[in-house]
Amino acid sequence: MLSVADLPLRFIEPGFFIDFLGPQDEPWLRVLLDEAGRFEGRPRRELAQRLAEPLPCDAPYFKRRAASKVLFRLWRREPLGGVAPRALREQLFTDAAASGGAPAPIVAATAARLGLDAASLMAGLFADLPGERLVKPPELVPGASELALRTNLAVAQALLMRASTLNLTIEGAARPIVRLAKWRGLLCTVLDCPTRPQARAPMLTISGPFSLFRHTLLYGRALAELLPHLAWCARFQLEADVVLRGRRGRAVICTGDPIFPSTPPAAFDSQLEERLAHDLARAAPDWDILREPEPVRAGETLIFPDFLLRHRIHTDRRVFLEVAGFWTPDYLAQKLERLREARLSNLILCIDEARQCGEGGVPPDARIIRFRRRVDVAAVVREMKRLTEPTREPVADDG
Amino acid sequence: MRVTFDRGTLLVNGPLADDQREVLSQIPGVLWDPRVNAHRAPARLAYALVAALGRKGVPIEDAPRPRLTPPTGFRAVPLRPYQEAALLAWRRAGRRGVVVLPTGAGKTRVALAAIAATRTPALCLVPTRALLAQWVTAIAAFHDGPIGRFGDHERVLHPVTVATFASAYRHMATLGDRFGLLIVDEVHHFGHGVHDEALEMSIAPLRMGLTASPSEAGVAPLTRLVGPIVFQLSVGDLEGQYLAPLRRIAWGLRLDPDERREYLALREVYRKALREFQGRHLGSHWKDFVAHASRTDEGRVGLSAWRRASRLLAFPRCKQQALALLLERHRGQRTLVFVAHNETAYAVAREHLIMPLTCDIGAAERQEVLRRFQDGTLRALVSAQVLNEGLDVPDAEVGIVVAGRMGEREHVQRVGRLLRPGQGKRALIYELVVMESNEVGQARRRSERLALGSRPAA
Repeated sequence: MLSVADLPLRFIEPGFFIDFLGPQDEPWLRVLLDEAGRFEGRPRRELAQRLAEPLPCDAPYFKRRAASKVLFRLWRREPLGGVAPRALREQLFTDAAASGGAPAPIVAATAARLGLDAASLMAGLFADLPGERLVKPPELVPGASELALRTNLAVAQALLMRASTLNLTIEGAARPIVRLAKWRGLLCTVLDCPTRPQARAPMLTISGPFSLFRHTLLYGRALAELLPHLAWCARFQLEADVVLRGRRGRAVICTGDPIFPSTPPAAFDSQLEERLAHDLARAAPDWDILREPEPVRAGETLIFPDFLLRHRIHTDRRVFLEVAGFWTPDYLAQKLERLREARLSNLILCIDEARQCGEGGVPPDARIIRFRRRVDVAAVVREMKRLTEPTREPVADDG
Repeated sequence: MRVTFDRGTLLVNGPLADDQREVLSQIPGVLWDPRVNAHRAPARLAYALVAALGRKGVPIEDAPRPRLTPPTGFRAVPLRPYQEAALLAWRRAGRRGVVVLPTGAGKTRVALAAIAATRTPALCLVPTRALLAQWVTAIAAFHDGPIGRFGDHERVLHPVTVATFASAYRHMATLGDRFGLLIVDEVHHFGHGVHDEALEMSIAPLRMGLTASPSEAGVAPLTRLVGPIVFQLSVGDLEGQYLAPLRRIAWGLRLDPDERREYLALREVYRKALREFQGRHLGSHWKDFVAHASRTDEGRVGLSAWRRASRLLAFPRCKQQALALLLERHRGQRTLVFVAHNETAYAVAREHLIMPLTCDIGAAERQEVLRRFQDGTLRALVSAQVLNEGLDVPDAEVGIVVAGRMGEREHVQRVGRLLRPGQGKRALIYELVVMESNEVGQARRRSERLALGSRPAA
């Protein structure tokens, strides 16, 4: 994590603004990369000292500090060779304590016993310690533009690590964000957006249970982890409540800000879902199978169906499809209740009978399709057509 | 009404009548959480909340209790008279409070006696991984059951568990409802707002803090989190009978002329930046200067000059020569050398062939080094900060303080390394002080801190 002293930020009431690195910074970033390259095979401590000093060209102070830290973390340690330094230390310091006298003869005698010369012994004495390890560049040395993006991500994450609450508006790919937040023990609630009551995108507030009592950094790491995943959303705006350098303010990060993205999310959560999508595509050629559609609001929470099945011509014929993982009858009852709350009548729920975790039967509901190992696609198509069947014949246009 | 533990907090569940809502809203620390439509409180209030509701006649179906079974298999823990007094004072204070004893006086022993006496699942919090291993060993000496560990890449839970502060901070959302007793070693680290959540997110009603050097800045928050100081003794109270008698020698040294010129030049750059800052910010302090220095070129230069001046004082030639003389003089005795930075420790190690003990040295090697120091295979160790706090270093007789970075509290802890009593032992500590520098004032303050007599318990 970058420290507060590394962050290129401006505080302008009421918030913090990041001075993102961009193309204008690439000349000095290239110099920085060259400078780091000179330290290949030298102790890590020396690289750290060099990166802490000014460059031979003009570079914005905070941006340089942040980029230097990010670059430093990318460098790797050379594997150790020869006699293990721990063994050298044990032998040399034991010999010194036993014999006393001037250091040079003791070093020479110990080195001879270990089959080394004195200079090699002294050079290898602390070679395994973090600051003394020799460094090598990463396998893929980033270019100046990539280093800028990585630095921007690190700066934005360092800012979020000082946050206790995020307000997040997301369009597309909201599900992995909510899932990650919940997995990290955060609370996600859906907010009303008074300025955009008809907005398609849900507005979420994400915080930790303890955030209620005071501004805490307890959840900062979990909140910061969300940021690189947001790059895969079609559109997002993130507002964080941040305390930094003794000031409290709002930080905003949104689509288009130049931050380094995470690795792309997996197309499917499981092989089961992948197979289902494939089978459906073959069984219902007139229907589009859309993975992870926009979430549907149910009270103060959101429902994230796995698929939206939409007729290609009659686009108002739409059915949501969700595949439950491990489940209990109570869970299913609550789920159906939430669907009723959301007035979501066109949702089909597929449950694997082998993955029942609790006692009791399945609540009676026509929308539940049971399966074992592989979803019965024919049953899904039948139910899909039943739910979207027109209630009366269309009136013929006589012209 | 049900009170449940929820990730380091308490949730009040169930349908509430209007008068019950009113009662809840009047209990300090309980807030309405609109995110989940329920009342919520920090976990540390668990017992206070249930008691307050009980007093108001509100029926409670369920309330959090320590989920682990009480530990069994504790043997009697023999205590010295002052340790017994400390335990009694803690009991009489409602089993909440801080015990202040000098290093080497056996704080851990008091905590072990408390765990054995309360017979409730106990979580011991320690600042470092090295201390985690040391506490496990100390507990094992009086406890036959398994001992849990959280930290140093381990996550093992048992009715008696030791955790590092960092692990406790990260995992208290799940550990918080397992234990009834919290033992907090080096408790002065808390009360400043950083990582205090580790104590706030536990339901444990019984709490004991241990320290040799209480912080005056964090007294009020610490009283809220752990309890007041219930027992306090200083080095002077125990020296001679329970701690080895101590002799301090402050050795005034003078910088060589070239180093002196360099030092004065650096100080001047720093002072100029400080004067300019203070001229613009009347009444400001050193901390304000440090906070603002990075925002201006002058400030950055000033701060950089101050750092270089401090590094110069940390190990100038006069200290190198003095250290060589002292090591030669005490070659036959177990000696600890305290320096300010790891790189100085390695420099001393190379120059004088003394084993360094730094945070970079792994736990296994560190244990091995301490063992060899104890059996006499190694006669001296040099350390920057690892030996500052808590770590048991047996029978060191001579200490040489070359430099420090953390002020008087660090010094008290360092001196404590030498005070473990031994047959006919007289501890000796040298402080190398560069004359006509800020080290003179530091040495005076250290001396005053050490000479503090016992203060009455709160």
